[in-house]
Amino acid sequence: MRDVYVIGVGLHPFGRFGDKDVIEIGREAVVAALEDSGVAWKDVESAYCGTVFAGPMAGNKVLARVGLTGLPIMNLENACASGGSALRLAFQDVASGFCDIALAFGFEKMPRGFIAGNPNDWFATMGMAVNPQYFALNARRHMADYGTTEDHLVRVSVKNHRNGALNPYAMYRKVMSYEEIANSTMVNDPLRLLMLCAPNEGGAAVVVASREAAKRYTTRLIRLASVVLKSPLYGTAEVPYIAVSSQVEAPSVTRTASEAAYEAAGIGPGDLDLVELQDTDSAAEIIYSEELGLCGRGEGARLLDDGATEIGGRLPVNPSGGLLSKGEPLGASALGQVAEVVWQLRGEAGARQVSDARVGLTHVYGALGNCAVSILQC
Amino acid sequence: MAAIITGNGPCFELALKMTVVAEKSRKPIREGLFAEDANGVSLIGGRCRECAEIVFPANPFCPRCCRETTEPVALSRRGVLYSFTVQRFKPPPPYRGPDPFVPYGVGLIELPEGLRITSVLKAEPDDLRVGMEMELVVEGFFEDEDGNEILGYKFRPVEER
Ligand SMILES: [Zn+2]
Repeated sequence: MRDVYVIGVGLHPFGRFGDKDVIEIGREAVVAALEDSGVAWKDVESAYCGTVFAGPMAGNKVLARVGLTGLPIMNLENACASGGSALRLAFQDVASGFCDIALAFGFEKMPRGFIAGNPNDWFATMGMAVNPQYFALNARRHMADYGTTEDHLVRVSVKNHRNGALNPYAMYRKVMSYEEIANSTMVNDPLRLLMLCAPNEGGAAVVVASREAAKRYTTRLIRLASVVLKSPLYGTAEVPYIAVSSQVEAPSVTRTASEAAYEAAGIGPGDLDLVELQDTDSAAEIIYSEELGLCGRGEGARLLDDGATEIGGRLPVNPSGGLLSKGEPLGASALGQVAEVVWQLRGEAGARQVSDARVGLTHVYGALGNCAVSILQC
Repeated sequence: MAAIITGNGPCFELALKMTVVAEKSRKPIREGLFAEDANGVSLIGGRCRECAEIVFPANPFCPRCCRETTEPVALSRRGVLYSFTVQRFKPPPPYRGPDPFVPYGVGLIELPEGLRITSVLKAEPDDLRVGMEMELVVEGFFEDEDGNEILGYKFRPVEER
């Protein structure tokens, strides 16, 4: 395996863009990443496109607008991990020596409203299978087990919206007060509207290269130290489910994916300077902080209490504003996290810059337990 | 072994037992979800002959062995509330409930045989506590186009006695 480097990242802002064509959203992200890398389009040797809602062959439609160079492209759908999956394939192409420069991109224009799971019609007809129900069930159990409080849930959202207000690519770009969040509409107790991320629109692209190729374009080498994609072990509870075994105790997929990513990178959680993780809701940030090994089990809320996860803290979490502020365009989400980490490692994150950032981790988790984790290092 | 409720057979008998209004037909929302025996109504799951894993709804396929090794089993009528939420907004279709919408509890019920079931709850939201004992109740959720009452399952707190 060869080392792999990120040499270009680009985003189309996340938000709502009226009747703007989804293919155009994808094209703008790809062009931005190419410009950032300095790579000529004809020199990109393979491409992977992740999207859930943009339809069949959406990646090809983007290529048709960037230029038809004959490069191989694969279109893939992997729920919230679609972009992370595209990145893993681009990484593999370069790591294996199959090619020197590869592109991963993802984009989305999602229907409005909460995503309804729907494993079976009868189950949804009775009033279950709605995604935020499951997030709320996780949140309530964490509160009962570890003393996490509604105050913690409010403060995660306050923090991420404060960070997102500094991010020109975020959906909300607005500081939300404690009172505003604490008094927002209750959706699924204990989760309120401003503690849940919004499905939306956006695009992201990442150009990766071998060391030799990377050095032709930049002197600031950012290594993609590992990209891990995992599906879950039997016995874990993956959204949406009707019933789940409690006879079998299995580690969560976030735990298995992050442990594999740390091992492959030769980097541990103690080495991280920042983390972009799947804050689908406020409680998810606390729970995933534990499952990613940033702290011990049940200590996620304490990280918040200690101020560790603030931009100026010991280990900033979601300095971009996270999904809570950016929204979640599924195919673009993971690649957007990678772009944020790359900007942070380059020192280009502006007002939300984490000082002396040298190592960052990204994490997405989605339907039926697909989880992608990547670690970047400069 | 409990008889699995299907169509208008045992289900109709159940309906007679459960309500004084026996004129219109009462149908389970999905056949095979629950059944009755001398002691009352139970959810019907599957138990694997090889590994003892329990699944719900009943299904020949054991997800642990990845083979068709389960047989139907009546599940415990009581369990413990593992977690809960309150559904405060009307879910998207195919949800069918009262109009105007009435918020309702949704919880995970941990059964002693080693299974957590997602269920609508029949309780005042303020009464719900993680760890409380819950019991199964089968009742009407809505009327279909032909005026049949459609039966589903809920769990409710066990009354203190
Ligand atoms: Zn089995």
